[in-house]
Amino acid sequence: MSSGYKPDILWSPHHADRYVICDTELSLYRIGPAGSSETKAGALPLSEETAATLLAINSDTPYMKCVAWYPKQEPECLLAVGQANGRVVLTSLGQSHNSKCKELVGKEFVPKHARQCNTLAWNPVDSNWLAAGLDKHRADFSVLIWDISSKFSPEAVPAEKVRLSGDVDSGLVVTKPLYELGQNDACLSLCWLPRDHQKLLLAGMHRNLAIFDLRNTSQKTFVNTKAIQGVTVDPHFQDRVASFFEGQVAIWDLRKFEKPVFTLTEQPKPLTKVAWCPTRMGLLATLTRDSNIIRLYDMQHTPMPFGDEVEPTIIERSVQPCSESIISSFAWHPSAQNRMVVVSPNRVMNDFTVFERISLAWSSTTALMWACGRHLYECTEDAGQGVAAAEKDIATKMRERAQSHYGHDTVQVWRNHVLAGGDDPQLRSLWYTLHYILHCSAAALQETIGPFKAYSVKVILECTTETRRCWSGSDRQTDVPWYHSEERSLALQLCGWISRGPDIDVEPFLKSLEQEGEWERAAAVALFNLDIRRAIQILNKGASAEKGDLNLNVVAMALSGYTDEKNSLWREMCSSLRLQLKKPYLCVMFAFLTSEPGAYDAVLYESRVAVRDRVAFACMFLNDAQLPRYIDKLANEMKEAGNLEGILLTGLTKDGVDLMESYVDQTGDVQTASFCMLKGSPGEVLKDPRVQCWIENYRNLLDAWRFWHKRAEFDIHRSKLDSSSKPLAQVFVSCNFCGKSISYSCSAMPHQGRGFSQYGVSGSPTKSKVTSCPGCRKPLPRCALCLMNMGTPVSSCPGTGKADEKADLTRDKKLAQFNNWFTWCHNCRHGGHAGHMLSWFRDHSECPVSACTCKCMQLDTTGNLVPSDSV
Amino acid sequence: MDLHILDHKLRVTSISKTGLQQYTHPLIKLIFLRNRTRCKFFSLTETPENYTVVLDEEGFKELQPSEHLQVEGSTWLPLNVVSNGNTSSSSQAVGVTKIAKSVIAPLAEQHVSVFMLSTYQTDFILVREKDLSVVVETLVEEFNIFREEGGESVPVHSQDACNGLQRNGREVPHATVHPVLIPENQFCVMSLDPDTLPAIATTLIDVLFYSNSPKEGASVDQDMKCIKFFSFSLIDGYVSLVMDTEAQRQFPADLLFTSSSGELWRMARIGGQPLGFDECGIVAQISQPLADSDISAYYISTFSFDHALVIPDHPACVYFAILICWHSVCRGYVLV
Repeated sequence: MSSGYKPDILWSPHHADRYVICDTELSLYRIGPAGSSETKAGALPLSEETAATLLAINSDTPYMKCVAWYPKQEPECLLAVGQANGRVVLTSLGQSHNSKCKELVGKEFVPKHARQCNTLAWNPVDSNWLAAGLDKHRADFSVLIWDISSKFSPEAVPAEKVRLSGDVDSGLVVTKPLYELGQNDACLSLCWLPRDHQKLLLAGMHRNLAIFDLRNTSQKTFVNTKAIQGVTVDPHFQDRVASFFEGQVAIWDLRKFEKPVFTLTEQPKPLTKVAWCPTRMGLLATLTRDSNIIRLYDMQHTPMPFGDEVEPTIIERSVQPCSESIISSFAWHPSAQNRMVVVSPNRVMNDFTVFERISLAWSSTTALMWACGRHLYECTEDAGQGVAAAEKDIATKMRERAQSHYGHDTVQVWRNHVLAGGDDPQLRSLWYTLHYILHCSAAALQETIGPFKAYSVKVILECTTETRRCWSGSDRQTDVPWYHSEERSLALQLCGWISRGPDIDVEPFLKSLEQEGEWERAAAVALFNLDIRRAIQILNKGASAEKGDLNLNVVAMALSGYTDEKNSLWREMCSSLRLQLKKPYLCVMFAFLTSEPGAYDAVLYESRVAVRDRVAFACMFLNDAQLPRYIDKLANEMKEAGNLEGILLTGLTKDGVDLMESYVDQTGDVQTASFCMLKGSPGEVLKDPRVQCWIENYRNLLDAWRFWHKRAEFDIHRSKLDSSSKPLAQVFVSCNFCGKSISYSCSAMPHQGRGFSQYGVSGSPTKSKVTSCPGCRKPLPRCALCLMNMGTPVSSCPGTGKADEKADLTRDKKLAQFNNWFTWCHNCRHGGHAGHMLSWFRDHSECPVSACTCKCMQLDTTGNLVPSDSV
Repeated sequence: MDLHILDHKLRVTSISKTGLQQYTHPLIKLIFLRNRTRCKFFSLTETPENYTVVLDEEGFKELQPSEHLQVEGSTWLPLNVVSNGNTSSSSQAVGVTKIAKSVIAPLAEQHVSVFMLSTYQTDFILVREKDLSVVVETLVEEFNIFREEGGESVPVHSQDACNGLQRNGREVPHATVHPVLIPENQFCVMSLDPDTLPAIATTLIDVLFYSNSPKEGASVDQDMKCIKFFSFSLIDGYVSLVMDTEAQRQFPADLLFTSSSGELWRMARIGGQPLGFDECGIVAQISQPLADSDISAYYISTFSFDHALVIPDHPACVYFAILICWHSVCRGYVLV
């Protein structure tokens, strides 16, 4: 308060482009866009876009302590100034001197005893009322409410006063206030309560806040607190008030006025100004002394009133409007959102908009939404055709795949990659692998070799025998170690190189590759099968094919020159030039030809070559010591990379789940993970919590997309593959007493230490009556007609069906018959045995319960149908 | 009504007129350089005999002990009565009068010596710290008592306090007859925005420290028809001034706050010999009849004497208040 003459700032309540800076004088500024013709040369830049023009200066009122702007539209620039001696002077800025304004300007309101005026507040409704909060006097009131329209006091002003004030024109002096409040105390701050304009909230020096009602000033609500400075009402929440003391802000709820609802974190320096944002709900700005930052507290999500046990959710931020300079004061713009003008002690002003926090949300359909201020932005994926499938978000892909029945082809499993769009090499490899695995295991079952084995290359390769094979089609016959065993050929089957059978015949595979135009790959496979002539043939075919690459002929030429001479020019050139080949299969072909037998790293670690081809190659050319090492190494590599091609190595085992986990971590593709793992063995793989999590997430995702049918299809698909997953019941009849389901599936679960004896019912829990709740043994509701307790044994629980004998409810003993079913009206909730109800409604239209006028049967569209057994 | 025991530990001292120059430096510091001292409670009253300085312990550290400085031995605590708004505001009487019946008289009955200090803003009742338990016990029925500690108001209950000594136990001499002196000069009670203190610094220094300079000395009435009385206090950031009209003329009129009615006060000085600090009931005996007649009063105790100020209400009965004093005189006071 004794801060000397630091400039303060006030926005005009009605003119969004005007504000007043008050220090020793009042200066009216107009704010406008910078550089526009409207702004004069002398305009002060406030920001990059805005500048202020000085319109008027008023220095008529010395010793200003506080200023308040008249709240009504007219007169426009009427200000009340509270002076150090407690006088309140009405003054005006600028030109507009209409008659009403003229009458008022210069009017003075003088307290009986002079002392500092601390605060002023215009009544928001009755704008003639001006409340002034003054310092303490031993014999006077601290709050005086003046009526600015009142004429000057009739009693003569004593000559002494005139002498003291030097005021000649005593006709404008008012000495009789409308109301006087708060004796023997100082008023440090006050505000009118917008909810009830007759009420005034005062903050006194004796550590109290008091609410006075002017209709009965002897009554007041009163609370002791230190936070007595700067009381201000939240304009958006009129029961919320902020006040401060030194570095601490207290937030009050006027409905729970006993204590602050919460206090904000204390600042090390005393606060100088606290102001609610007029354009934004629950945003409080605070300024401390000698500080260059304004702290903002966002209470938008703070429930009001909130209980004591809840920690208030307040988001604290700070803004630094002018980089280094200290802020003397600030003022929110009355209408522009989150905008404020700050002023430094040397009257440098700055126009500034607090940037709104951005909150962001993903929708389940890949749309991104964010809110900033009052704007809502939506960002959707470009659905145009130009977007490559690989760039699409995984959620979009999954949606599309769900719609194309991806994963549901259980006969031709490999076809699922086509359903997925057919453009993802990993998925292609995965589904082919799964296809081969399932194929092999089905064959194994047929031959009764054993139960479903988690086939994978890793599992299969245990022992092999070694044979040698010679080059065919080459002039020279050289021995290359070539390994063969039953396991190795099984592995080759999994790789897709050979089909089932004792022969190792890659020709069908080569044919299919040729069909698909994978010339290089076909050539490489042929070469690895030591058929160099076939390889050259494939390449020639490729070169002559439509859209064929003529370079393949060149490659074929190079290939035909193969020689196994160690130091030949061919070898030398091939081993160096092969690195320049762009196509990986061509590259590995020459790598193979130029390698020493048994040292095929250039082939095995060429990552651009499909894993299945590398594995098949390894199965043929690595010996029993090298092969498991290579497979292990590759499997681990795939696991780490989350490459689905690695499923070939791991199969649908724990290792496979690990691999899938890292794939899901990278892609989020729970769909593929779910479908893939459903093919795995129920015992080992499906019980894995990760797998269950993927499946649940995929179901939730389908629900979120409102693909109810797809969800149901998936559930059916799942229950087919995984017999342990039963579809969960969706509707229950619950007991009125314990709230548990009364179905037997519930009672079949173990009762957690709950003895039935406590309910005064003898008998063992297994022999429960059908007319009582299996959970708590309280009787079930009675039928409205026969007044017997209802109860139906569930036929799907044969184990407990014996309890039926004890059932005493029906005369006919066929308990599971429809006649005994529960039935009730969803409207009036009355009901009974289905048979009784049916016979009742044959003759009646109203509910059987007396005094219930519900026309139950007519509400039911199927109510007119007659059950077949009753006819 | 609330009674606040304020968070100041006060010492009552007196500086002799001759020793003033030794103390001008700390006094100027305490008056004008508020930011350089942690003193929150400072009151300086000039009387013809001496300068009475009441100040808290932070301020007391500034005063170097010397033969010219007399210090009353005990620590004093200021009490302040706050009407929490529930009391009726019908009574126009203010100041000491208002608290005469509720505070001063009961304390006098319990033989608690009080030191009164009225200011523009409020009235402080200073009691010795060791009497506090008696004070609390005496006043707890009438007031909600709060003790202010570090900015917090802590409610005080009588059982907390009265477990100590029960009664003062001091033997009270029969009410002494004190002479009352009523000088002719008129006084103003005023205040000032502390920020404008520098503007009146030279005048204030002149009035406080150079009042005995030759040009002023001529006007000093040796017969005590007019007595020199000037009081300045700076308590919790609030300035209060009491001076006679002659001194007031030296100050710029627009800076000092006073009441709009421009009221002038007459003073009654109680005591012929220095009163000392142990006698109780003096304030009570003066304020009681004033309260009975609903006359507002202003009371300043100094090291030697007590001073009561009253407003002669109406021009036609300028001496009405003094007549009230007469009533007291009739009860055993002697008007000099």
